[in-house]
Amino acid sequence: MLSLRRRPLQLLRGRPGRGSSFHSSAIVWASRKVLQKFKLADIGEGITECEVIKWNVKAQSPVQAFDQLCEVQSDKASVEITSPFDGVVKELLVQEGEVAKVGQGLCLIEVDEESLDDSSKRFTEPVSPPPHQVQEAVQSKAFETPPPSSEVSQEAPQPRERRPHPLDPSHPPDAATILNSFSKNVLAKPAVRHTARELGIDLNSLAPGSGRDGRIEKEDLERYLADERKDSAGSPSSSAQQAKESGDVVVELGRTRYGMWKAMEKSLEIPHFGYSTTLDITSLHSLLPRLNACIPPHYLPIPPPSPYTSVNPSSIHPAPSPPLVPPSHQFTKLTYLPLFLKTLSKAMSEWPLFRASISPRPLSAPQAKPTLTIRPSADISIALSTPTGLYTPTLQRVDAHTVFSLAAQLKHLSHLGRQTPCGLTPAEMPKRGGTITVSNVGAIGAGDFAAPVLVPGGGVAIVAIGRAKWVWDVDRGDGQGERRLKVGVSWSADHRVVEGAELAAFVECWRSWVEVPERLIGEAI
Amino acid sequence: MLRSFSPLPRARLRLPSVRNFSISPSRQELSPQHAIYVSNSVNPYFNLSLEDWLFRHKNHQEPLLLLYRNDPCVVIGRNQNPWKEVNMTALKARSIPFIRRRSGGGTVYHDLGNTNYSIHLSRLTFDRHATAELVRRAISTLGVDVRVNDRNDICVGNEKVSGSAYKIVNQRAYHHGTMLISTKLDTLGALLRTDTETMVTKGVDSVRSPVCNLRQFSSTIDHETFVDAVVSEFRREYRVDEPIRYVNDGEGAEETDYIRNGMAELPSWDWAFGQTPEFTYSIRPRFEWGEVTIEIRSKHGIILETRATSGHSGAGLEELGRRLEGHKYGFVEEAIVKDVVDRDSRCRDVWEALAGAMETYNYQP
Repeated sequence: MLSLRRRPLQLLRGRPGRGSSFHSSAIVWASRKVLQKFKLADIGEGITECEVIKWNVKAQSPVQAFDQLCEVQSDKASVEITSPFDGVVKELLVQEGEVAKVGQGLCLIEVDEESLDDSSKRFTEPVSPPPHQVQEAVQSKAFETPPPSSEVSQEAPQPRERRPHPLDPSHPPDAATILNSFSKNVLAKPAVRHTARELGIDLNSLAPGSGRDGRIEKEDLERYLADERKDSAGSPSSSAQQAKESGDVVVELGRTRYGMWKAMEKSLEIPHFGYSTTLDITSLHSLLPRLNACIPPHYLPIPPPSPYTSVNPSSIHPAPSPPLVPPSHQFTKLTYLPLFLKTLSKAMSEWPLFRASISPRPLSAPQAKPTLTIRPSADISIALSTPTGLYTPTLQRVDAHTVFSLAAQLKHLSHLGRQTPCGLTPAEMPKRGGTITVSNVGAIGAGDFAAPVLVPGGGVAIVAIGRAKWVWDVDRGDGQGERRLKVGVSWSADHRVVEGAELAAFVECWRSWVEVPERLIGEAI
Repeated sequence: MLRSFSPLPRARLRLPSVRNFSISPSRQELSPQHAIYVSNSVNPYFNLSLEDWLFRHKNHQEPLLLLYRNDPCVVIGRNQNPWKEVNMTALKARSIPFIRRRSGGGTVYHDLGNTNYSIHLSRLTFDRHATAELVRRAISTLGVDVRVNDRNDICVGNEKVSGSAYKIVNQRAYHHGTMLISTKLDTLGALLRTDTETMVTKGVDSVRSPVCNLRQFSSTIDHETFVDAVVSEFRREYRVDEPIRYVNDGEGAEETDYIRNGMAELPSWDWAFGQTPEFTYSIRPRFEWGEVTIEIRSKHGIILETRATSGHSGAGLEELGRRLEGHKYGFVEEAIVKDVVDRDSRCRDVWEALAGAMETYNYQP
């Protein structure tokens, strides 16, 4: 609801009585009134709805940030929900005793537009965080964040894994650096926090502020900036001099690395979320030697002697001759990667979402609503690390290839990549790209989990496969435990397109193929 | 993130082998900043208020453990219907109170054979399964093989030994639960078995399960060994090295404003009955003169509407129904309807059936 000014000619922007004056800082604060729909956020743990037990506010009553709005109940948990903004509760959308679904609006609050963050326009209040480190970053920003799982995932451990406790000195630093600016009871409005974050100001160093209850206000930020500018004005060139003196070398980025730079900058547009799990590949492990024993002769560099001595299949009619396979495609040993790709293509066949890519916006209408293009086959890109740089060639129509054929293609790609200059051509790296990217970092190091990054054109999801290792699985063997071969897989997906639950379900679908490879026999044509 | 240390215990408290009474002089200010509390009070109103006070006043990021036992009482969840969950007749017969707690979930019976644990954590690090696992590990060190079921309850085989509930606020969350060590299970059964099947209520219904005591599986388990085991496991899991802070009656804790207000609120009608969600109760009593169908609708403990219909003339019954509107369910005095029931014996019969159906036991401490 916009509050209309008396003089329609002077429609927007500017507090009453201020006309069009500006702050001395670069930030201009508008103060339109906006109606925010405050939604019930995802609680996690499979809960999809809560009952509203009690409203602590009435319609048309003012409310301050951190005031208790209502209490809801979900199975065994009673949850208090506090207001994210200062404003006026205009309407209660769910009455006491009624059930609100996750994502449904709880109430409408009218706020000054300035007290909103860009991202909080889609605000939802997390009711109870999933055991997810991403949620930590969200929670610590209290009331200004977008839906819980859409922030850049710093680390994405599997849900039941022991995370280091916040009090643990070896707590991962990335979470701490985010938490640092926002934890420890530093009070500040969402817009203030946002500005501080953009300017790189640590709110802890400003606390307590000049606002109510020691809240940090924007004047505090401005004062801090003004002070800083005074300090730094004295020494503009000292930093440059220092670099020269200490023997540092300045290097320009090569073409491929600069390409990676640009692609990764573009990847910042993509809201990532992560999901990791381990796959049990003991069945695949026992399958490998048997598959290696029956690699079709045309893929082998030295074909084995023909098993037929007296009779042969071509006696009455020429048997179909195997395709000609160039030497660069030939291999002697199968690895896990073609099997992972094949099973992934099976899962992709079941899930059209993961065969989708974001359609390029037409030049004529750049602001048109985005669409997804779903292709009938599974195209998977592979991250290839070569002496000349990082490339992502694409394997087309993985669902139409056999495991051996995929192994041959991979062999060929790595052969091309090893050339200097790089032998990869647009034929291997079509503009269309794959819809899922696979990065086999386990080949490089004994990694367990990673946080891969999507690039535009790289599909809707990327998975990093770690190194397989033998572990003792206590869940198997009727409680006695069993030695199993497990590999960590870390997914990152584009949250504009993929939901957390969808990715999790897709990964479980993939798991059902990887952990039971015999299914491939049943589905073989 | 730095851990904040609570002040070192004073010299006179450094005798860990002495339990169950504090050596300090009787008036020592209770601080909410310790990490491990064991309450020696068995007053359920005090213990629940103490739990809430610790929940609201401890540093948000730091873990806290509270263990306590209560005198016999029935504890219902925040959003439950006491008439649906608790057998009022049995309560009255035993003079046992029911108390509505602040966390969600179902109805449980507490007595001195039941120990309650309460784990408070920062909302960020709160994980129901992890806290349930902590308690499970503690019990397995006592030699009983327990498991956590899919509702995060602790069970031995198919029988529950513990029920859980949670409360989540802005920055903090807790998981608390019961642990049946040597509870009188027959009393438990009698109190929680109701005959109000025809009551249809909003709010949370308890999920009934068969229960058993831990003492059935090990003769060495009792309140003290359970407390020790949980405290050790808590210390190990959250790397807390503080001594236990015992809380006793008569030390002045109950004079802290917040706790005192809590102890006054819990037994009040507004909280105990007035927080009941909407429900409808239908009964069909039979009299010699015929059958009557009565439907009472109530919300927040107040009767909204009573409809009594029978094959015979209903004028008196309608008036009876109207008289009840706006009164507290279960607390209607006969004086309200005296003239109606005196006039018509049928109305008296119906009134008596109603009063019986609405039987309530209101314990005042």
